Amino acid sequence: MIDLDVHLAAIRLGDAGAFARWLAGAERPVRESLRSLAMHVDTESVLQEALLRSWQYAGRVEPDGKPNTLLRYAVRIARNVAISEMRKSRAKAVDPETLDASADPSPSAPPDPILRRAIEDCRGALPQKPAMALAARIESGGADADEVLAERLGMRPNTFLQNFTRARKMLAECLEGKGVAL
Amino acid sequence: MTPEERDSLIAAVTTAHRERGAHGEIKSHRAWHDLDEAGRTEAFDETMRTRKIESASDARGLSTTARAVLARIGG
Repeated sequence: MIDLDVHLAAIRLGDAGAFARWLAGAERPVRESLRSLAMHVDTESVLQEALLRSWQYAGRVEPDGKPNTLLRYAVRIARNVAISEMRKSRAKAVDPETLDASADPSPSAPPDPILRRAIEDCRGALPQKPAMALAARIESGGADADEVLAERLGMRPNTFLQNFTRARKMLAECLEGKGVAL
Repeated sequence: MTPEERDSLIAAVTTAHRERGAHGEIKSHRAWHDLDEAGRTEAFDETMRTRKIESASDARGLSTTARAVLARIGG
């Protein structure tokens, strides 16, 4: 089993590079832990808040002898942020057993070079405008709103979203044709 | 809501961009509020797939979510 705590000591010292390496393996299981709440909270904003707090409070996290202490801590933070958001919005109550379903998260495996090559091939086969919309999102890294990206590309916001939607559907079909299931 | 409008809302929610509130908190996306429960679940699944593509395409294995978080901490 991958143990992301190999990065914990450096993260506690404020090493952002170590935190980036931790994030590469931790993001997916923390997001997955929020699946049962996706109807009630915007999981992307909850996740980002939880990951930020994991960085801010990593200094308080002591290894407990089991793998992935910081990852398990991040899952707990994400759950607490989600519950807090649900209280604010008076969302329906969720069964606590559902919340505990992913109490032992597993980190993501390192990037797969074969998958990377397949994605590159499929992106290369996209029509120009969908390819531009997809690339704009990826290159922005979440820094810019879609309205800003659309303006840069000379598209209306809704046209940008339609192109992005076409890109993701065509990419999924192309990858499926190569035997890659996302 | 037409299927195209629904697709656009789902596509909008899959971005890693989120506005900040007055106290620095990360706000939920406007489009997320316009989706029904099935649409929100679909947006969650679509975001999972999108982030997998992003992280697989990145030399450091980082998705746009991870890069957005790192940008906020100055990393």
